[in-house]
Amino acid sequence: MKVTVSVNGRPWSGEVPARLTLSDLLRDRLGLTGTHVGCEQGACGACTVLADGEAVRSCLLLAVQADGMQLTTVEGMGAPGRLSSLQAALLRHRAFQCGFCTPGFLISATEILGSGRRYSRQELRELLSGNLCRCTGYEPIVEAVFECQR
Amino acid sequence: MKLPPFEYHRPAVLEEALGIMAEHGDQARPLAGGQSLVPLLAMRRVRPSHVVDLHRVAELQRISVAGGRVRIGAMARQRDLEHDPRMPGLVRAAIPHIGHFQIRNRGTVGGSLCHLDPAAEWPAVALALDAVMVAASVRGRREIAADDFMLGPQTTALEPDELLVEVIVPLGDEGFGFAEVTRRGVGDFALVGAACHGSAVAVFGAGPRAQRLTAVEELLRSGSGSRGEIAALAATEIQATDELHTSARYRREVAARLVGAVVDASQTSGGLP
Repeated sequence: MKVTVSVNGRPWSGEVPARLTLSDLLRDRLGLTGTHVGCEQGACGACTVLADGEAVRSCLLLAVQADGMQLTTVEGMGAPGRLSSLQAALLRHRAFQCGFCTPGFLISATEILGSGRRYSRQELRELLSGNLCRCTGYEPIVEAVFECQR
Repeated sequence: MKLPPFEYHRPAVLEEALGIMAEHGDQARPLAGGQSLVPLLAMRRVRPSHVVDLHRVAELQRISVAGGRVRIGAMARQRDLEHDPRMPGLVRAAIPHIGHFQIRNRGTVGGSLCHLDPAAEWPAVALALDAVMVAASVRGRREIAADDFMLGPQTTALEPDELLVEVIVPLGDEGFGFAEVTRRGVGDFALVGAACHGSAVAVFGAGPRAQRLTAVEELLRSGSGSRGEIAALAATEIQATDELHTSARYRREVAARLVGAVVDASQTSGGLP
């Protein structure tokens, strides 16, 4: 089936099989390997991307369902030398070790910060609980996002 | 794992969707938010020949108020209902417990009620609200009481050619309460939970399907019964089964205490113990 999407502001159009997930489209067809695939069942959050501004699991969305959507992946957030303020905060707080979960956290945190609300550390811990990190113990990630609320 | 091959349908209107279900119903799976079906496909636990994606059927997303009731389109997302002031307090109290916000951004009411996971929140909420399920097929529409809709774990009363199109809940608030216990904080699957709306009480996660507690409700309507007495009666009524990580006894006792807590909350305010 034909799919037309906008990925990080650039249009993409192509034929895909119906069973292809959005995460596999991004990684294998578009070469955007910053979106990581962990559990492939919606539990780990590593594959989270923004679809029309909302954080969603790209492993649970068929590529054909994304037809017409505006997508943002970690590649659309910043680049070496010009990190987004959120990326810079994670770096400052050493909020990653292996980095596998980081793109998903960045995307989820983008929706959280976009709400304009100021959350407590405990609220942020709950909001960020949809992303798993096996290295950091979450403290520096929560601190980095908390700091970005200012 | 990757999804098995299937033929993908993307109807634009309900009539078209019902036509596809009439033709392929026993070989087809409707795709709502995909938060349960896509993992089931990836794990090859289901292998439908046809997947009918309903997300472009606009009329299934509609939420309207008529005759003192709220009609929720089956494709309304959890996210859409979470802060909707037309929703009964019990719905607004329960929805933040459904998965994480990323899941609620896609997950739908109808998807949850048709998937009927024993640990899901919506079945208990629907029971406590005496919700009415509206099923549609090319043969027509019919209303099914929530209790009759839920036949067992992951088994609804829908015929192969039928789609759940609407869930009807009461408008306006009675006292309500909602609570659940999870292994890992907010967003995780519930071990057990309880929901209360007026004098209606339901539990979920204890057994194979959500359950109304009629003896507890009788006690509530009589206006007597302390929190401890309510929990003790609930423990005699809850049908619990052993599960991989928790015994029937554990689930019965925790669910019974949650019943005491949600009834308490419903009689004060706020809805969350």
